[in-house]
Amino acid sequence: MIKLSQVSKQYPNGHLALNKVSFDIPSGEMAFVLGHSGAGKSTLFKLITRMEKPTAGQIIVHDQNLSRMRSSKVPYLRREIGVIFQDHKLLLDRTVFDNVALPLIVIGMPNDEIRKRVRAALGKVGLSGYEKNLPLTLSGGEQQRVGIARAVINRPSILLADEPTGNLDDELSDEIIDIFADFNQVGVTVLIATHDLRQVNRLGSRTIRLEKGEIVQTEATE
Amino acid sequence: MLTYLSRHLQVIFSTLGAMQRTPMASINTVLIIGIALLLPVCLYVTIKSGQALSDNWQGRPQISIFLRADTSASEAALIFNEIRLHPSVQLAELVTPQQALAEFRALSGLDYELKFLDDNPLPHSIVVMPDAGHARSEHLLELQAQLSKIEGIETIRLDLEWTDRFNAILKAAAKLSLVLSALLAVALILIIGNTIKLLIFNRRHEIEITKLVGGTDSFVRRPFLYYGCFYGILGALVSLLLLSGTAHLLQQPMAELAALYQRSQLLYRLGIEEIAIIVLSGAFIGWSAARWSVARHLRQIQPR
Repeated sequence: MIKLSQVSKQYPNGHLALNKVSFDIPSGEMAFVLGHSGAGKSTLFKLITRMEKPTAGQIIVHDQNLSRMRSSKVPYLRREIGVIFQDHKLLLDRTVFDNVALPLIVIGMPNDEIRKRVRAALGKVGLSGYEKNLPLTLSGGEQQRVGIARAVINRPSILLADEPTGNLDDELSDEIIDIFADFNQVGVTVLIATHDLRQVNRLGSRTIRLEKGEIVQTEATE
Repeated sequence: MLTYLSRHLQVIFSTLGAMQRTPMASINTVLIIGIALLLPVCLYVTIKSGQALSDNWQGRPQISIFLRADTSASEAALIFNEIRLHPSVQLAELVTPQQALAEFRALSGLDYELKFLDDNPLPHSIVVMPDAGHARSEHLLELQAQLSKIEGIETIRLDLEWTDRFNAILKAAAKLSLVLSALLAVALILIIGNTIKLLIFNRRHEIEITKLVGGTDSFVRRPFLYYGCFYGILGALVSLLLLSGTAHLLQQPMAELAALYQRSQLLYRLGIEEIAIIVLSGAFIGWSAARWSVARHLRQIQPR
């Protein structure tokens, strides 16, 4: 589902963010990307969603070679990938409903269908009844869950989460990671960047450990 | 299809809502557009008024016909009759040599000197006013050609200078207004384009996130194109309002002028088609400006 071969990314300022990284995550798998901040986790996600292009190597997502993908096709790739950010990236002047509905609005889904789906997604992340709230009236954990609802609303086949539990306490972190595990159960490929080893141990999923842009260890537990 | 339409309606309403939330910026832009559009519209109205005036030049152009010096009074009367009955002649007046001399004497003040003349050297002459429908220079030239065939006429002089000059001025003004309109359209595109650019950068965050969740370029572009369109339409409406205000201010002096020319109305009134064209041009200019601005700036905004 997500296959990287010898991928390197060097920024114009000379910083080598990723160096010859290769891995293959099959469809339906859940994996953690471990590493300190600056190890290249965020760059990895930017490459997979084609926010950045690699300087070398090949990335194949959903059977599509991203290096050869025309920029007009990029929106359709992103519709297949739900992304959750550490800083949530919510629109603060829009209600929770509007934020979650955005991926459906851009594909032109009818309004009543959108309402149904948003309600269902908010129910799944435990935010029923928060439709009319503005994001800033919610706690950090709640905002994170709004971000998750937005990421899954379009039923993507891939979920990417960048430090989804960054600022949360253990109990909330468990809840959030469990939500991802639930989606993984129904066949969604999940890739979570984290430095929270506790979650890795708790779920026992495969890990990819990055250090200074290089893979130092991949292991499939179980 | 219905969904597509309702999406567009949604964008239209949210755009209007956003314009309402930032009234000062919107009002400024719309006013600038309105004033810039007013200039060519004013010129257009002026030219149209002038054309109407020139078309209905009530017998102003005169044709002076001088008969041969040896023409007798009875011959002159015959020629005069023939000319008077010509279908495109409204009014004709026969001036005898005696009348002409008297007039010349009165105008020149050469009373004393003229007494030394043995006989009157002035010929018979006929002053013709063509009817209103034949007052244009091409008609007058045609009339001149027809009249010159009449026996006994020495020369025909057309008093075309005034109408020709006036029509030439109108033509120059029309050219000028065309050039001015084109330049103002460019200026407007720059102004609206800049406003749209500010809007784009104000909504940078929203654009980034929309692109991140799979919004296509045309989806992201849409509200800005509507913005441009609305600015253009509102600007055109403002210019029409300003025009009617200007016309109102000019009413008194124009009425006096109209009375001098025995016309009930001098100022050209815009028809519904012309108003529609002005509004549509506004919309088109706004849309083009937005399109240009979006093409330049939207690409720069990518999710980070």
